[in-house]
Amino acid sequence: MQITFKLNKKNYSLDLQGHETLLEVIRNLLGLTGTKEACGEGECGACTVFANGKTVLSCLTLACDCDGYDILTIEGLSDGQTLHPIQEAFLEKGAVQCGFCMSGMILAAKNILDQNPLPNLEEIKKGLDGNLCRCAGYPKIFDAIEEAGKKIIKAK
Amino acid sequence: MQEFDKKFVNPVGKSVPRIDGKGLVTGQTKFAYDVQLPGMLVGKMIRSPHPHARIIKIDTTKAEALPGVKAVITAKDTGEIKFGSNEFFFPHLVDQMPLESQKVRYIGDEIGALAAIDEETAEKALKLIDVEYEILPGVFDMLEAMKPGAPQIHENVRNNINVILPVNIGNPDRLIKESDYVREDVFYCQSAAHTCMETHTCIGQYENFSNKITLWISHQAPFKVREAMAKCFKMDLNDVRVIKLATGGGFGGKLEMLPMDFASCVLSKKAGGFPVKIAYTREEEFTCSRRKHNMIYKLKSGVKKDGTLMGMTGEVIADGGAYCSYGPTLLASTIMRIFMTYQIKHLRITGYRVYTNTPISGAIRGFGGVQSGFAVESHMDLLAQGIGMDPAEFRLKNITTPNMVAANKMVISSNGLKECIETSMNASDWKNKRGKQSHLHRGIGMGIAGDVMGSKMYKAHESSGGIVKVEEDCSIYFFTGASDTGQGSNTALSQIVAQELGVSYSRMKCISADTAITPFDTGSFASRVTFIAGNGALLAARDAKEQILKIVAQDLHLDIKDLDIQAEEVIMLSTKKNIMSFEKAVKLCYSFNYGHQILGRGSFNPQTSPVDFRTGEGNVSASYSFESQIAEVEVNTKDGKITVLKLWDSHDVGKAINPSSVESQIEGSLAMGLGYVFSEDLKFENGRCANANFEGYRIPRSVDIPPMETLLIETIDPQGPYGAKGMGEAALLPTAAAIANAVEDAVGIRLKELPFTPDKVLKALKEKYGEDINL
Ligand code: FES
Ligand code: FES
Repeated sequence: MQITFKLNKKNYSLDLQGHETLLEVIRNLLGLTGTKEACGEGECGACTVFANGKTVLSCLTLACDCDGYDILTIEGLSDGQTLHPIQEAFLEKGAVQCGFCMSGMILAAKNILDQNPLPNLEEIKKGLDGNLCRCAGYPKIFDAIEEAGKKIIKAK
Repeated sequence: MQEFDKKFVNPVGKSVPRIDGKGLVTGQTKFAYDVQLPGMLVGKMIRSPHPHARIIKIDTTKAEALPGVKAVITAKDTGEIKFGSNEFFFPHLVDQMPLESQKVRYIGDEIGALAAIDEETAEKALKLIDVEYEILPGVFDMLEAMKPGAPQIHENVRNNINVILPVNIGNPDRLIKESDYVREDVFYCQSAAHTCMETHTCIGQYENFSNKITLWISHQAPFKVREAMAKCFKMDLNDVRVIKLATGGGFGGKLEMLPMDFASCVLSKKAGGFPVKIAYTREEEFTCSRRKHNMIYKLKSGVKKDGTLMGMTGEVIADGGAYCSYGPTLLASTIMRIFMTYQIKHLRITGYRVYTNTPISGAIRGFGGVQSGFAVESHMDLLAQGIGMDPAEFRLKNITTPNMVAANKMVISSNGLKECIETSMNASDWKNKRGKQSHLHRGIGMGIAGDVMGSKMYKAHESSGGIVKVEEDCSIYFFTGASDTGQGSNTALSQIVAQELGVSYSRMKCISADTAITPFDTGSFASRVTFIAGNGALLAARDAKEQILKIVAQDLHLDIKDLDIQAEEVIMLSTKKNIMSFEKAVKLCYSFNYGHQILGRGSFNPQTSPVDFRTGEGNVSASYSFESQIAEVEVNTKDGKITVLKLWDSHDVGKAINPSSVESQIEGSLAMGLGYVFSEDLKFENGRCANANFEGYRIPRSVDIPPMETLLIETIDPQGPYGAKGMGEAALLPTAAAIANAVEDAVGIRLKELPFTPDKVLKALKEKYGEDINL
């Protein structure tokens, strides 16, 4: 099955068998290992990517259903030169520990801030509900998202 | 010449960003899970579907014949050598083989492994393995397992008791008799899982001709893996290279060699040297790695009316699962912790670790301290209550002090426990809240804890080495054996090196935990890294600095004793004058006249005394850290839900090398503690895990996190690097008791069985108040 999609601003044309998940395609076929797998069952959020402007769990998404889509993974978040404000804020606020959940967490944060750059704590918590982190205990992640929102507004 | 960042001069005590942070937030860092090597094969473990059975025959021919299968191994491909994690202290308790040949003892027990060209083929091949078993009766409950006549899991182990630890100090029976108030309590602690976000992963490669093994791994203790691998392969330590890659969490679960590590290398050998990657599925992670010991804790103590704690007796029964793991040291750790916090001189607690046909219990953050923390700290509140004393006051009366020797010969030097209790009381407004909010069904409770910073788990020493390499462009490499599994040790250790060398942290790079190129370190456990590896780092930096200063002194005819490097400048101590910049000094070292490479080395082994595992006497750690935790809760008497309104954790960390990292460690611990209190309950039915996924096993999520306040107490430990102590684990030790104590303050019920589900709360309310629970 032939599909084409845009991933991190590049066009890809792929010949797939049909059963591959988007996660498998991103990691194994395209070699972009920033997107993680921590359960493979839609329960942890580590595999979060953007598809057509919305976050999806790539472990539950069939790649062939993404024909024509515009996909963004953690590797495409920054412009390749400077960090994205969310990445900056996560570092500044000490929100990163082992980092295995971080790709998904940061994209989930982007999803929250895309909707409202000044979210309150409840909105942040709700927006992260599907993203598990075992290291951090979350408060520093909440702070980082608040801070990132401020940075984004300032940059505008 | 490398530019340095002025902000990061004198980095100790500053929340500098993580040394590995940029790779982690951009997805560029490679974890073991991400590694792909040319020709790499997919490996899978062949596991027992039975909790207890004898292996009659394993037929692998069908699997081997499947196209794409490159190797299948069973015990006969191994030396059938037993290994164990507490081997050094308990050689007679070594009980596990990399692949079992005679018997299987839990569902998931490894009897073989295979490697194929891809996941699909490997899965298919697994189904083609034919094993004939003689099914044996299993035993799944630790109390059942201890009864005479129960199925015997290991040969020559009476009543399935793997370890008995009889700690006996003083004369507790007499002291209890002399007490004014005596009570006895029983507490129940469930099993739990680490759930690292990155599952256990390894890639093994065996070079047949050079007889060399390389293992890339997600791990806390690569040097421990090397030791066990060398033993099972009958190789020299230096024939085995274990390289830890970025590791997605450990929490005690990645502290041993697992059969998968060994199997990946044997498979590689059999497959002609191609690398073999084995990555656990989430289900395997829940069922076939390690789990927390579920425990029954019985305590009986006596106190005087004035609050003096007289003596304690008790019994601890711990479910060890199928094999020994770190069981003996864990049992010692759970019982001995009380001596860190309380001045108790008379104590007799007997610990039993029991085999059952369930997955292996092992180390998990707190190392037995979470269970003892719940039992002891709940019991202390009940004792205080029995004599009508405020529980905080009761603790203040009985706690340990700085510079004392405990009854079991623990040597306590710096000790901020009193300050911890007082600051947490002030921050939480304890005096105005305790006992005064029951009309709102609100309450406040306290728990305290102490922790080690290191202990000898598997060797006669627990040293950590460091190497500092200053390049001619002034960039600095620090090599350490310590494993950063996400806690930030590469960052903290680099801060220590930069501080001691007198340079900006921005110059630092860190290479860690590669057994071929970094110095030895026992591993990341027992909150030991900042303290022990930190001292190794400090000594290595000091050595490098002396080498630089020696050349400066020689060149300028100065007295080296009068020189130091501080904040990027070589200074003269007597005149406080700058002599030259650090950059100039390094240039001088690498100049035509000198050509001296700056390679500083350090090795640190803390001074402890051997612990007698029969009596519990000895000083396991060179120093101890302390904390006090307070929880404020509200109990909904209609649906039984406990809401934590806030947690305060006041922590004696000696000195916070990186305050933000320290807070993160505490917050992460608290979250883990909360998970254990309310929802994390690894359940088994006839030895089969009943909730091996994140849906059935709920770890804390963003929406579950209450406000947390961390208060750092800096006691500047005389032996710690810049006074720092370890602190990675202690924060979850008192959480369960603090909450149980707060619940009693709120609604008058006493919860003695974890986790605190709404059902248990409602049941306790009903028992206490009858049907009329609207209070
Ligand atoms: S890997 Fe997709 S949700 Fe866990
Ligand atoms: S940082 Fe380790 S799981 Fe989130």
